[in-house]
Amino acid sequence: MQGFIISLIIFTSIFALFGLGLNLQWGFTGLINFGHVAFMTLGAYTTVLLSVQGVPLPLATLVGALVAAGLGLLMGFATLRLRTDYLAIVTIGVSEMIRLIAVNEGWLTRGTLGLQGFPLPLASLNPTFPVRIVMLLLITAIVALGYRQLWRSLRQTLKKLPPEAIVPITVMALGYGSSLGLLLVGTGWAAKQLKPLLPAWGLGCLLLLALTLIGYFYIGLAQRLTKRRPQWSTGLMLVSTSALAVCGLWIYGIAIDAIYHYEKSPAKTGLMVISVAILALIYWGLEKLVRSPWGRVLKAIREDEEVTKALGKNVFAYKLQVLMLGGAIAGIAGALYSWQLTTVYPDNFPPLVTFDAWTIVVLGGAGNNAGTLLGSAIFWAYYNVTRFILGDIVPLDDARLGAFRIMLIGLLLMVVMVWRPQGILGKKEELTLGQ
Amino acid sequence: MGNEMGNEMGHETPETQLEVQPLLSAIDLCKSYGGLRAVDRVSIQVPSGSITGLIGPNGAGKTTLFNLLCNFAHPDSGQVTFDGAPIHTLPSHQISQKGLVRTFQVARVLSRLSVMENMLLAAQHQTGEKFWNVWFRPGQTQKEERQQREYASEILASVGLSAMAQSYAGALSGGQRKLLEIARALMVRPKMILLDEPAAGVNPTLINQICEHITQWNQAGITFLIIEHNMDVIMSLCDRVWVLAEGQNLASGTPIEIQQDPLVLKAYLGQ
Ligand SMILES: Nc1ncnc2c1ncn2[C@@H]1O[C@H](COP(=O)(O)OP(=O)(O)O)[C@@H](O)[C@H]1O
Ligand SMILES: [Mg+2]
Repeated sequence: MQGFIISLIIFTSIFALFGLGLNLQWGFTGLINFGHVAFMTLGAYTTVLLSVQGVPLPLATLVGALVAAGLGLLMGFATLRLRTDYLAIVTIGVSEMIRLIAVNEGWLTRGTLGLQGFPLPLASLNPTFPVRIVMLLLITAIVALGYRQLWRSLRQTLKKLPPEAIVPITVMALGYGSSLGLLLVGTGWAAKQLKPLLPAWGLGCLLLLALTLIGYFYIGLAQRLTKRRPQWSTGLMLVSTSALAVCGLWIYGIAIDAIYHYEKSPAKTGLMVISVAILALIYWGLEKLVRSPWGRVLKAIREDEEVTKALGKNVFAYKLQVLMLGGAIAGIAGALYSWQLTTVYPDNFPPLVTFDAWTIVVLGGAGNNAGTLLGSAIFWAYYNVTRFILGDIVPLDDARLGAFRIMLIGLLLMVVMVWRPQGILGKKEELTLGQ
Repeated sequence: MGNEMGNEMGHETPETQLEVQPLLSAIDLCKSYGGLRAVDRVSIQVPSGSITGLIGPNGAGKTTLFNLLCNFAHPDSGQVTFDGAPIHTLPSHQISQKGLVRTFQVARVLSRLSVMENMLLAAQHQTGEKFWNVWFRPGQTQKEERQQREYASEILASVGLSAMAQSYAGALSGGQRKLLEIARALMVRPKMILLDEPAAGVNPTLINQICEHITQWNQAGITFLIIEHNMDVIMSLCDRVWVLAEGQNLASGTPIEIQQDPLVLKAYLGQ
């Protein structure tokens, strides 16, 4: 269990980082990047290949980030002076090109044989007691800061609510959430019981029917509740935030325990500390950036490039910077990803990974960094939960199950888009604005 | 920043008083779209400190001329000189930085930015707009933000948008957007503003208000070139009027002269 949670933390951090890069490009600046995985691939391969040659890991990672930024620079120069759609097309092409290079340039990347046995960070470390304490404090500080943020935003939402509304909407949200949860678990349990009795196609149809019905009913219910009590969705937010907070504490406990017993699995624990620390650092940096005058220019470019030009801003330079910075962040995510996988194959970086990042960003709310973190957490929680549970319930072999899970996350995305087109943490007002 | 503004907004230097050279002059500008000559050898001069009008029937090429002046569209041939230097080779953002700002015929506000952010964005030479300065010069950045915010509040107050400062610009009404767009152009602290139909789709009271503001800002030293169909506005504001028709210069002169010019009456007023 501990190992599972630790790897969940690592995956979540890596993809949060990856998503933050895309969020900077698309969510804040409006640049459509359908080849985000290219930056990650470059970062991963550069870091690994350099570290195999004996370059120290931090330096290798830095070079990896720079190479990824360089790709951003090239793509920018090639396309940014053209209309926006060209960037979208070129990014798809470039990402496929990078993957094909990884497959075919065997002298460099060992092609489909892949790279194994490369150095991992902090893997052979046996930290003394004070070092462990420092790691513990670092993680604790990050978590504490996170909770402070959460508390602040919670208090803000609470302030906007009339005090007498809090109890009823919380009850409503609790009822909604728990009954939905129970129904889903019940369906799963029933399916598991029926699995030996029914033919596979029958069970599949039944399951799909049940899920559709439940989904339909609960979306309808949500809409009716919203009509009757508009603040109701805030209640849902409160309840789920609290649930998330409790969940977070539990995970924090596990992480702390793992650091305390560092020697039990040094590579993973070390990677967890590094990923979380890097994520926290970059998140903080990005938040500072997007709230600065620099970030204001990005948002202006997203809204209307021509106006931004007319106001004396060098739009091209800003877009280049954003492509490079987002690329560098994805490159770092790539380095972390290679350490987490411990082997690197071109197949680790299919175009689908780009769309994982899109899912994460859209789910959390474009243009909202905290939303991207949340999106990544939901994505990976979903991914892992379904991996273990769906196998028991759904009568499909492994490959089909994989496809089924992707279908389901598509469905989840659709539900979120119906319920909150602006994403979970996005601002609703922004949707209704006229151009 | 502060000093620069003083100079720009201040009264004319001896040079401009002599009017040796117009602030903005375009010579023989041409622009074709396919076979259509949208702007065909148009020349125009705008004296420093003036309010100059630009009129012509729909499709005469007025907006296209604005695009050429600011290099939003690249002229096929011809030259534009602003403040003594050629600008037709500069990218459009540098033209704005030199103090020549345009507005758009259909007001374009940055919807998902607040009204205040729309204003702050327009300030030039901000320290915090450079990536590294966000990290290495936070103090200076904050100081400038405070100053710009004060200046922006003043302008917003003068156009009556103070109450909306924190709302999304996308939530403004059509008339308010026009006001915001002009206010935003002022925030650039420009030498000259190109206004594309500032009174179109605006109610009469607001038109009067806009006219008053333009006069007032003009007295503070800003030169205006205004495209407008509302002849009352042109007559009351402009020192000089240029007339375009079918992409070519038709006439120029004082508003009175223009009103009596038979060519103009024929082409434009349709009489
Ligand atoms: N980007 C463009 N592409 C093609 N034709 C254009 C373009 N911009 C303007 N035109 C044409 O140029 C002519 C002048 O347009 P415009 O300058 O907008 O006129 P107005 O004087 O009413 O502002 C019109 O016939 C218009 O259709
Ligand atoms: Mg026009």
